[in-house]
Amino acid sequence: MKKLLKNDAFQFLSLSVGITFLIYAMEAAKGMIVVRTVYLTFFDVLDIIVAVSIFIGLFQVWVKPATIVKWLGKGSGVKGFILVCTFPILMGGSLFTIFPLLKVLREKGASSGAIASFITAWGGKAPLLPLEIKFLEWPFALLRLGCVVIFAVAMGVLMERVMEKTE
Amino acid sequence: MVYLVIASGLLGGSYLKDKQKTKEALWATFKILYTILPVLIFVFVLMGLIQAYVSRETIAAILGKQTGVMGILYAELVGSIALFLPPAVFPFGGYLHDNGAAYGPIAGFVFTAILIGVTTLPLEFKLLGKRFTIARNILTFVIAFFLAFFMGVVLG
Repeated sequence: MKKLLKNDAFQFLSLSVGITFLIYAMEAAKGMIVVRTVYLTFFDVLDIIVAVSIFIGLFQVWVKPATIVKWLGKGSGVKGFILVCTFPILMGGSLFTIFPLLKVLREKGASSGAIASFITAWGGKAPLLPLEIKFLEWPFALLRLGCVVIFAVAMGVLMERVMEKTE
Repeated sequence: MVYLVIASGLLGGSYLKDKQKTKEALWATFKILYTILPVLIFVFVLMGLIQAYVSRETIAAILGKQTGVMGILYAELVGSIALFLPPAVFPFGGYLHDNGAAYGPIAGFVFTAILIGVTTLPLEFKLLGKRFTIARNILTFVIAFFLAFFMGVVLG
């Protein structure tokens, strides 16, 4: 029981059901609006979510973290920097999953700038493009991807400066 | 549907190349779904709550085009604090857009929701150092602001 209560999936689901019931009890019409929104959105995105999860699953298996670290090297030099600002865009996962990978990169001698660029580029989230295009249209998605590269470059350059001064 | 077809195609190709790896990939996919779906449902409930209680006018007043710079800053703050898994960011952003939020604030929200996390701060401190973490999060917030502003101008 204790384990179940600590389970994230269980927490989110029970919170969702709890809130919906509460709203429904207070005002049935509002509760129905919540139920309808959840139902419609869920079935609207289910196929995309499954597809995206398959993309990320395949990527994780075929491109191991160790391989990524090897490819990116220290993220130094022009080639390394370009890779660090672009390649992570293809990766999935949350911040929780990439920090450990970055620790390895850092131990291999990657600079603060390269690490910061990596995190920012990872924010590009190309595997989620189907979702982004569905909800925000492709001009937004494409422009954001372009901006992510600029973002990653700027982060790398600025972090390098900031960390140099303080270290 | 198209995406599912592509995904199945890739799975098939992967299976032909390496059965074991494909099994691992399917297991990874399952774990991702198990993590993502409950969070998504929670976010959909939040969307439902907004639908039920917050008017379009209110959203437009906070995040609409005429809010300009402030709208972007509000959206970035929400994105920084919110406990959003990346896949939940886009449905929520799209939902806000349909209800009167402008592209600039949404871009700000998307950037910070993915890149800044109050919940991940302790881990980032531990693994990458305090100075790095503080500098990275502040810089991310600032640069996200300019890029979001730019995107808002371009997308109108």
